[in-house]
Amino acid sequence: MLREDGLLAEDSSFQAPHFAPKAKRCIYLFMEGGPSQMDLFDPKPKLNELDGQPMPESLLEGVKFAFTQKESARLLGSPRTFQKYGQCGMDMSDLLPHLSNHADDIALVRSMYCDQFNHLPGQLLMLTGTPFRGWPTLGSWLNYGLGSTSRDLPGYVAMTTLGRGLPGGAASWSSGFLPSNYSGALFRNEGSPVLNLANPDEISPEMQKRTIDAVNELNRQRYGEVANPEIASRIKNYELAYRMQSAAPELIDLSDESAATKEAYGLDRVDKTGFQASYARNCLLARRLVERGTRFVTLFLSTWDQHSKLDSELATNTKISDQPVAALLQDLKDRGLLDETLVVWGGEFGRTPLGENRSGFKTVTGRDHHPYSFSMWMAGGGIKGGQTLGTTDDIGWGVEEDPVHVHDLHATILHLFGFDHEELTYRFQGRDFRLTDVHGKVVQKLLA
Amino acid sequence: MLRFVSSLIFCFSILPLVASDSDHWAFRPIGNPPVPVVKSVGRVASPIDAFVLAKLEAAGWNLSDSAAPQLLLRRLHLDLTGLLPTSEDIHAFENGWKADPKKTYTAKVDELLASPHFGEQWARHWLDIARYGDSDGYLGDTLRLWAWVYRDWVIDSVNQDQPYDQFSIEQLAGDLLPNPSQSQKIATGFHRNNLKNTEAGLDKELARTKQVVDRVATTGNAWLGLTVACAECHDHKHDPISQREFFELYAFFNNTKDSDISIKLAKDWPLPKPAKKKDDKKKDEPVVPKAQTLVSLSEKEFRKTHIHIRGDYSRPGEEVSSATPAVLHEFPEGKRDRLSFANWLFSEENPLTSRVVVNQIWQQLLGSGIVSTPDDFGTHGNPPSHPELLDWLATDFRNSGWSRKKLIRQIVMSSTYQQSSVNRHPDRPNELLWRQNSFRVNAEAVRDIHLVASGLFTPTVGGPSVYPPLPEFVTAVGRSVKWPESKGPNRYRRGLYIFLKRTVMYPMLTTFDAPDTSVSCSRREMTNTPMQALTLLNDPVFFECAETLGRELHATHQDNVEAAIEDVFQRCLNREPFPGEVATLSSAHHDLLQSAKDPELAMIATARVVMNLDEFITRD
Repeated sequence: MLREDGLLAEDSSFQAPHFAPKAKRCIYLFMEGGPSQMDLFDPKPKLNELDGQPMPESLLEGVKFAFTQKESARLLGSPRTFQKYGQCGMDMSDLLPHLSNHADDIALVRSMYCDQFNHLPGQLLMLTGTPFRGWPTLGSWLNYGLGSTSRDLPGYVAMTTLGRGLPGGAASWSSGFLPSNYSGALFRNEGSPVLNLANPDEISPEMQKRTIDAVNELNRQRYGEVANPEIASRIKNYELAYRMQSAAPELIDLSDESAATKEAYGLDRVDKTGFQASYARNCLLARRLVERGTRFVTLFLSTWDQHSKLDSELATNTKISDQPVAALLQDLKDRGLLDETLVVWGGEFGRTPLGENRSGFKTVTGRDHHPYSFSMWMAGGGIKGGQTLGTTDDIGWGVEEDPVHVHDLHATILHLFGFDHEELTYRFQGRDFRLTDVHGKVVQKLLA
Repeated sequence: MLRFVSSLIFCFSILPLVASDSDHWAFRPIGNPPVPVVKSVGRVASPIDAFVLAKLEAAGWNLSDSAAPQLLLRRLHLDLTGLLPTSEDIHAFENGWKADPKKTYTAKVDELLASPHFGEQWARHWLDIARYGDSDGYLGDTLRLWAWVYRDWVIDSVNQDQPYDQFSIEQLAGDLLPNPSQSQKIATGFHRNNLKNTEAGLDKELARTKQVVDRVATTGNAWLGLTVACAECHDHKHDPISQREFFELYAFFNNTKDSDISIKLAKDWPLPKPAKKKDDKKKDEPVVPKAQTLVSLSEKEFRKTHIHIRGDYSRPGEEVSSATPAVLHEFPEGKRDRLSFANWLFSEENPLTSRVVVNQIWQQLLGSGIVSTPDDFGTHGNPPSHPELLDWLATDFRNSGWSRKKLIRQIVMSSTYQQSSVNRHPDRPNELLWRQNSFRVNAEAVRDIHLVASGLFTPTVGGPSVYPPLPEFVTAVGRSVKWPESKGPNRYRRGLYIFLKRTVMYPMLTTFDAPDTSVSCSRREMTNTPMQALTLLNDPVFFECAETLGRELHATHQDNVEAAIEDVFQRCLNREPFPGEVATLSSAHHDLLQSAKDPELAMIATARVVMNLDEFITRD
């Protein structure tokens, strides 16, 4: 018979936190492609003033671009209007009418920077702490460190709303050199949410149960013969698999959600691609997942890579995501989950204050990749909300105050989960590896 | 569970620096130790056993009894071919065993070593080390429609028992051999398997240097068992390799370029067509088969090699030229190119290469290496459990003319290999090998044995990679999305032949720990997860196997459930069921019959039970 006692409670393979964690779960809203910070979070009146002017040569020295031709590039102002929101007076553009209601919950970091100016290396750096494939993602590290608190769902789930696909594909939720049970599970938000979750058509639930009972009974007999400990794990995993088969469909069945909740997330919004409804659904599912004990959820939204048609495409993206993201924050708050749920919003880098004049472009309507300064925000899970950290220079080229490298962000996130980032290590190839490699400083100002 | 990380920018170690030099065991010359004298003379079927018994007897232990003949047959099939024996194989083996066990066993070993499937199984191990893939791996993940030509070269080489030194030299420097043959050029595809970033707007020189770093790292892992890439950015923290020495190795690989050549194929395969643009009205041109090879730059194209300060190519330091680390044997006078480097690897004085490969092969047959960190023979790796045995094997391997088949034969003929894997002393670790190890078969074999047991298996060896059906939500995550589903018998090919698209890895293989091929991997992880259970229960491929097998059982045995149970045990587990197992499975069948819509489905469900047993996917 299937045992009902908590299997994962017995799982002692994970590490223990080094100190009391503030955050217990994380929802990472990954904005693939590099959202334009000066059109969303970091207003630059001076840039608007200098629209069409060349950039000071001193700033261009040694700088590399993906596509922009340095010599003839001109600064590009933003057509967006900004206002100050919340008690804290946080700047947000007119593209974020919903998020702006949460200014006092979030910590906006305008001084992010990194050292990768191509998508995949940048994304891998943000997700794994290195620009290379083969390394564990943040969600894998946290599950390795803390284990899952879900009895019947995976501890790490990834969901996608994809335009052009993800540059790293499955590397974006891979466990790298950590054991593969720390890998993210790709969920879809409809039908059968996990691969191979549904029984084959011919097999009724009753037959499935009888099958698993027989498998486990025969495995137990075998264990009695050969005492191979892997058999004991196999039995546990068939029990967990069986529970997942009912838990995962329950997860995506939204019939118990109120009409008000669905409306708040914007589940019924209709657009040509279906992305608005899909992303809203993912946001709601993220809440349902963390509610059920999943440790880490990543929602990928692709793509913010606006080399051209920036104004219209940015509006499309914010139309997809602004309302559900704000609703997620509100929903977590209403349910008392936000205190222990860290929400992270951001892409792999930002975009240039220069307009992109790639050869072959007739007009300049977009911005190139920009690793030297960009904006991200975090909320909940021990974050001190209602603050804007860091400043950039007048045209938004470089960071002026409180620079935060990706490694610092990682160190801070691990800190929120109760880990000293220098101590959470995994021995591999005779060395102890960590998420932050040899870098990273906890950003104290971000902590509540 | 250890994979080699090649592209490591900042290696670090939290351990204090250890003074290490040529005194470390792995850098000492390979000895030729005398075979020890042991008490249990009767168990010494090979010198291997004397080395193992010497340690066991010193601990007051002994080898376990030999495994039952049916189990030995299953073990040999799984280890040598990655497939299962048929009922006929089992009957013939049992009959032969009654007459003459040793002769029967020996004949079976020789038969399997000569099987074309042997090359597939052992090529798979090498392809992990060669980080083989069918696409570039980064953003564009451009397909490599001809990568399989190299894969088939590996299978052929293994099947022909090409001496390991030749096998290696051709992969590292086939193009530099005198009048290289087509096959020797194809071999250089080894160093075309690395990831390749072609993202628009990329720093091209950075991408190129990262490929060279990976080639050095992979070479270090495959033939030296060393984590040389740690020295890319600074002197190695614990092994005696300086950053300068890393770039001296790098210099051997810094003057190559990719070259796709037209080739003649030995067999008439249906060839992959390059993707056509929608409006392309041009007629299909005949596809010319190609191979991805590596060649040297001409002298006027030659690059100088500089140390990259902190591993950053844009900060060139001192200029260096090709050389090998001082802690290892001397490099001979004369030319310093890839060919002389490859020859240097196989020089008599090299303390590493022979040990490293013997250890790689040993771990596939015993479940764990004599050095349990096959990718780290350095001071932070684990020391060998049986150092004399490792040296004896390494010397014997060299003396046998680097024959992998002879080495494998030597191991499987030993009593150590043939002993039972039953864990009679659950608290006793098995480092000294008082029993065989049990381990789950690798990802590809999980698929392959399902196909064999069900009768669906297509045994074709080699050819272009295949695309078994996948749900769209899996294929959609990569950017170049095409997954041209294979039809007919190609759907039932071995896991080895599944198109390895790096951004869309075949989920079943990943679930069972197939490496992601980003870097060279000489030891796979071995996890045990609920996703594996879901896959075996519900993956359409595995359900189709259960259906096919169940239908046949039903057609053959009708209402005779016990006969059907006996049959399914033989096909899947290659043994007779115990009475308790018959009782449990009969009772399950009885219940399933109540809820199934017809008796055939009940039999399918019963077959599915057996195909989900831990034992089915375990090599005991």
